[in-house]
Amino acid sequence: MDTLSAIVIATLVAGTPLVYAGLGELVTEKSGMLNLGVEGMMLFGAVTAFAVTHATHNLWLGVLFAAFAGAVLAAIFALLTLTLKANQVASGLALAIFGAGASAFLGKPYVGVALAREPSELAAWVSGIPLIGSTLVLLHPLIYLSWAAFGGVFWFLYSTRAGLVLRAVGESPASAHSIGYPVNTVRLYAVLFGGAMAGIAGAYLAVVYTSLWVEGMTAGRGWIALSLVVFATWRPERVLLGAYLFGGMTTVQLFAQGAGIPVPPEMMSALPYLATIVVLVLISRNPTLVQLNAPASLGKLFHGEA
Amino acid sequence: MKLKLERRVAPSQIMQYLSPLLAVGLTALTGLCMFIAMGKDPATAFYVFAVQPIENLYGVGELLIKASPLILIGLGLAVGFRANVWNIGAEGQLTVGVIFSGVVALHYGPQGGSWVLPAMVVAGAFGGMLWSAIPAFLRTRFNANEILTSLMLTYVAQLWLSYLIYGPWRDPNGFNFPQSEPLAPSALFPILIEGTRLNASVLITLAAVVFTWFILKRSFVGYQLQVVGLSEPAARYAGFNGRRAVWIAMLAGGVASGIAGVGEIAGPLGQLFPTASPGYGFAAIIVAFLGRLQPIGIVLGGLLISLLYLSGEAAQMTLNLPSAITGLFQGVLLFFLLGADILITYRIRVIPGTVKLKKVTA
Amino acid sequence: MFSMTRRNFLRSSAAGATIGLGPGLKAFAQNEVLKVGVVHQGPIAENGWEAFHARAWRSLESKSGGKVKVTVLDNVQQAQDAERVFRQLAAQGHQLIMGTTFSQYATLRKLAPTLPKTKFECCAGIGTLDNLGVFEARSYEGTYLTGIAAGKMTKSNVLGWVGAFPVPQVIYGLNAFMLGARSVNPNAVCKLIWANAWSDPAKEKDAINALVSQGADVLSGSPNTPVQGLAAEEKGVWSIGSSGDFSAFVKNRQLTSFELDWTSAYAEAAQGVIDGKWKAESKWRGLGPGGFVRMTTQNAALPAEVRALMAEKEKAILEGKFHPFTGEIKDQSGKVRVAAGATMPDAELRSIDWLVEGIQGQLPRT
Repeated sequence: MDTLSAIVIATLVAGTPLVYAGLGELVTEKSGMLNLGVEGMMLFGAVTAFAVTHATHNLWLGVLFAAFAGAVLAAIFALLTLTLKANQVASGLALAIFGAGASAFLGKPYVGVALAREPSELAAWVSGIPLIGSTLVLLHPLIYLSWAAFGGVFWFLYSTRAGLVLRAVGESPASAHSIGYPVNTVRLYAVLFGGAMAGIAGAYLAVVYTSLWVEGMTAGRGWIALSLVVFATWRPERVLLGAYLFGGMTTVQLFAQGAGIPVPPEMMSALPYLATIVVLVLISRNPTLVQLNAPASLGKLFHGEA
Repeated sequence: MKLKLERRVAPSQIMQYLSPLLAVGLTALTGLCMFIAMGKDPATAFYVFAVQPIENLYGVGELLIKASPLILIGLGLAVGFRANVWNIGAEGQLTVGVIFSGVVALHYGPQGGSWVLPAMVVAGAFGGMLWSAIPAFLRTRFNANEILTSLMLTYVAQLWLSYLIYGPWRDPNGFNFPQSEPLAPSALFPILIEGTRLNASVLITLAAVVFTWFILKRSFVGYQLQVVGLSEPAARYAGFNGRRAVWIAMLAGGVASGIAGVGEIAGPLGQLFPTASPGYGFAAIIVAFLGRLQPIGIVLGGLLISLLYLSGEAAQMTLNLPSAITGLFQGVLLFFLLGADILITYRIRVIPGTVKLKKVTA
Repeated sequence: MFSMTRRNFLRSSAAGATIGLGPGLKAFAQNEVLKVGVVHQGPIAENGWEAFHARAWRSLESKSGGKVKVTVLDNVQQAQDAERVFRQLAAQGHQLIMGTTFSQYATLRKLAPTLPKTKFECCAGIGTLDNLGVFEARSYEGTYLTGIAAGKMTKSNVLGWVGAFPVPQVIYGLNAFMLGARSVNPNAVCKLIWANAWSDPAKEKDAINALVSQGADVLSGSPNTPVQGLAAEEKGVWSIGSSGDFSAFVKNRQLTSFELDWTSAYAEAAQGVIDGKWKAESKWRGLGPGGFVRMTTQNAALPAEVRALMAEKEKAILEGKFHPFTGEIKDQSGKVRVAAGATMPDAELRSIDWLVEGIQGQLPRT
């Protein structure tokens, strides 16, 4: 395989957990909720997926349970912020810490254990497809599903009534409430969705990509995903692009090292972060553009009747 | 019959003090259940968690020396959070504080002189300030959200320090291990209590507590920050400069973090390593919230989080509990704290079930 | 410091047995139990760096017949916390305390003089103190032998090495890998990528993919998880376990591997304290009995002639007849660093900060 294709595939792979977590957090934030606990939900999802896949040898079951696990953690966040009116920033951070600790605790028996890789019948079938089969099979189904998820989120937010309601709730919960929309219920669903997606992102890392569990293996990707949503000015298509931009820069720096380019590796490793800042600055220079898409009530408490 | 949350007429003063106690109690209860489930004696476990870490002078010194950076950074961040400026990059600002003060320490420390340590503090403050100035600039000039920029810069700062320690600052007598040469005595904070690691940097933190209290409660600047945080349109109407608020908010966090970084290398570390802090910059965010953005609260919050770190180690040593228990308990405590806070502004009301009417027959 | 050969080892242990009691030490009473404290920087895992230490202290405890009790802390990541933990272990009556990584050395060096009654040993360090010994593995002996296998089995003549961080043990290991490969294949080169992370298997896998798409068909270097071997299986290239044998998980594509074995380090330290004869030493051992490096599996696909070559070299190393860092050795710029026929002295080897010819990659510059 030539270098360019390798870089493209590596970029897609590196960006996929960010796509899932980013899209999930996007929906959450669009409803006005700021959930900083993405890293914790991803880790919790990762360890759950690993444990389940290890026990059942069924990868998809693992992913499913991971989504559920992420949603459970998100439910704690919802309980704290929607029912108990706690501060969202602190609650999200607490979730991140709890998720990291709980996943480390539960994952103890699995550190360094690898999942058995079973040959996939689906992959064999796909590679049999004439012409495009051999290309299609290079990417894992979860990558294709992430594109489907993007399409789904986009369509939901901008072409359905429910999506409109969600965006309205995010813009002005007071107005939405006065029209009769169940603000807290909408937000609950948005938060749960964000948790489920973060769980899938973690599952992808642990069960699809590396087949390993290591404590803290998300290595900050949850925080990157959070930043991505802001970077994307809360537009799903920009979340997708941003995820691949970030993944791409990480990939390129590794390839550059391997090609012997004489730049200090730390500087190469810093490139993705610097690039993100630069692009953010370029995008944010038009405040109207940002404001048009940022949910106005993001992070603020809504004092409605239940 | 069901429970309903009803808004209080005015926030309850009693609950302000009770709710943290309630949270600690609930956490302890959860912990006890966990210990019993794991087959550990609850009384011993409680002792190990709450008492053992501080049962001697050394332990108390450790508690304070670990709480000091948490409190210091927490104070700086609280100033910003009040103004709705979310500085998530304190860890990076701490790191750059380490770098800048490291320059002073490594170049001038060996020569000695009582000016070295104060110079380090100034350099560290400047470094942290510089690193927080970047997100401040990007926000005021380009509208770039400071959560993202400060966070991204954290990673850049850590890579910068790593580059320096693996590269130019490597100890020439150090067998090429990634560490700097040990800091000269003139570059170290003096120990306050013999037999502990408690050093003079806690005095800086104490001064910061007083200073912050004064700024927030008594000064006009503090008032401005609060108004900007509560309502930007109102602030503008009143003529408060929103941009200046952002700058002050970010720089406060940066200075505090930078000085905290100096406290680490000129204190318990005594040397520069590729990482300087066990995540104080992030933990301080929690401390700031625990303390409800008030100086006294932040002090208590810092002490509590510090105790939890120490408890985790004691639990491993004495009870054979896994290391992950610390993060788990920190998270649970935070959940209960955040949840219990609702009782300050809301009360629980029991709504009796509907009464069934019986048909009265004549 | 001398290289550990069978002869030397026997000589030194005989000498150790005849030396009288060390200063201030006394042998343990009949039913006295030795408490040993061990501090891990990372989480204890199934395999990898921490696992090797875990195996060693578990073996120590179980084989001691109750005479040794081990207290373990893991995940103590920062030096500030490590100092407190070491001190508290000492205060709680642990007479022997083991550090498991080089980053704990500076802390132990600071602490040991203040706790004269406790014996400390650290895995990798600069020099000893009265009550602080160090032990390190000559992993380069292992990597040299695996390098032979790599050089012989590569078809593209491109090897790949994924490093976490550029610490000295990794650097001399990598250099020996290249030297071993070039000893049988002068055209081999080795591409080097630093992941800049200790536990981010996804990033390691990204690095491995980059190496493979740039032509590497034999991989080595990634020490802590099976991610390298698993990636090799996916890509159909060879993986060599460097300080780690992952054949339990990597069924087909692990070519060969070596492990680190700290059992004798822990056993000797504990026995020394129990007998009252503990002395601070600087142990740098490789292959051989009582050594710290152990060659492990070999893939069935490894041809007999390659096995024979590896065995022959291993024997030569054990007999003291061959040293992997024997000249002529040139660095990446072509400068001769070790003259033909000369052997690199230990002191220089321990703190090596350059890469041998044939490695395509960077080291941080001082």
